[in-house]
Amino acid sequence: MKHPMNSAAAVCGLGLTDMGRVYRSAEDLAAEAVYLALEDAGLAKSELDGLLINAGVTDSVSIPLHITLGLKELNVLTYMQGYGSSAGQMIQYASMAVANGLANYVCCVFGDAPLKEGQRTGSAYARAGRRNAMASLYPIYGFAGALPMYALAAQRHMDLFGTTQDHLATVALTQRRWAAMNPRATKREPLDLAGYNASPWVVEPFHILDCCLVSNGGVAVIVTTAERARDLKQPPVFVRGFAQAHNHDVGLTGNDPLIHGPGARAAPRALAMADATLADVTQCQIYDCYTYTVITTLEDYGFCAKGEGGPFLAEGRLAPGGALPTNTGGGELSSFYMWGMTPISEAVIQGRGQGEERQAANDLIMVSGNGGVLNYHSTLLLSPEAA
Amino acid sequence: MNNEISWLPEPDEQNRPFFDGARDGELRLQRCGDCGGWMYPVKQRCQHCGSTSLDWHAASGRGTLYSHARLQRVYHPRHEGRLPIILAWVDLEEGVRIATNLVGCDPAEAKAGMPVTVTFEQFPDDAVIPVFQPA
Repeated sequence: MKHPMNSAAAVCGLGLTDMGRVYRSAEDLAAEAVYLALEDAGLAKSELDGLLINAGVTDSVSIPLHITLGLKELNVLTYMQGYGSSAGQMIQYASMAVANGLANYVCCVFGDAPLKEGQRTGSAYARAGRRNAMASLYPIYGFAGALPMYALAAQRHMDLFGTTQDHLATVALTQRRWAAMNPRATKREPLDLAGYNASPWVVEPFHILDCCLVSNGGVAVIVTTAERARDLKQPPVFVRGFAQAHNHDVGLTGNDPLIHGPGARAAPRALAMADATLADVTQCQIYDCYTYTVITTLEDYGFCAKGEGGPFLAEGRLAPGGALPTNTGGGELSSFYMWGMTPISEAVIQGRGQGEERQAANDLIMVSGNGGVLNYHSTLLLSPEAA
Repeated sequence: MNNEISWLPEPDEQNRPFFDGARDGELRLQRCGDCGGWMYPVKQRCQHCGSTSLDWHAASGRGTLYSHARLQRVYHPRHEGRLPIILAWVDLEEGVRIATNLVGCDPAEAKAGMPVTVTFEQFPDDAVIPVFQPA
């Protein structure tokens, strides 16, 4: 029997601002993204009756955005936070809201502006100088932001399974090939292995090119019912399945959170909702805060056995022309970093068939959102065809 | 000793036993008086059973290396001239996983699963923090 949420909702609007060194407030970027999404969908502002808001590292977009936007009759409004899993979560809650009649058109919006003129890109994410002695231990040891923990995760994978630096490099190089075909991507110049190896170490085994970009920008996605979406301007992208899974405290032993992520629990439930199997998935948009995240997420989803992610992607499988095109816009490593909205926005473009020279088979698109240090996870399955 | 450099904020009432323990050469952690579970960092309430009966006790200081990585950028004055520093997550025998540094170890020799034991590092301002070395 078909799950009641399988194809009940669809994405009907997408708004993307300029990305990167756009020196405006996160709230203004979020507001622009909403207007762009309305225009994209062919909707009047007065028709928008739901707004879900998520803010990035600067955490400076919240409920007052509805005032900035002059939205007068909202039936759904909240600020949400699940870190990198938030964007996927917003699509899920929006889908449930429209399917159950809480609202007709729910806009999910993300805005962030960590880049300041004259400031190094990494500084917004490397929060140091906490006044509490216990919390201060982390920067004293060298744990500044999420990056070191992901480096530890990659190193454990290397120690346990023999994953190599070249495997990490393959993720970066493959995604740069995709980015070269994406006019919105920040980094489009060709990258080879020598260029990757020459990029500075940050926390070994991560070169700077193993790390996502830091970007200012805003992204908005409008969700409505499948029926309404069919009558609008853009080809609908149906929400076929979804799930979330979140890890317990990683500060206790007896679990292996850097290797076994919560995506392993989310994927089977999302696929069951979609009445699909992994074999039906024709492309992936994987949250790629670091190169390692792609390897471990594909393993968690079951595309290959745990530990075999390195050899799996070394065969060109994720590249243009490969069997499982992945992060076709260049991902967070090479296009732009809008947390979970990076993979979702590319999935919508691909789902509509608007990927132009980077368009890949879009029958079923698997999208991941990942927050914390592999702690918080959302999975979406999107398709141009309703079930 | 250079007392003008303060690398560590003054401990507060909640976390002082941890830093006093380090000065005494002891890895002192919270343990629940009801269920016996250990925890780190400072908690107000036992995360295992919910009890508020928490006391500080000396942990064994023994554990295994859960994972490691090499810090190649200076984020704190302590890192100056010492790179690469080995970042480590250590699984203690008490069931607690703690973020720390691995010292006295060639970075190429560090490997997940290796046994480690606590040692202590004194700062220029006399503060002391626990770090770990190969057992």
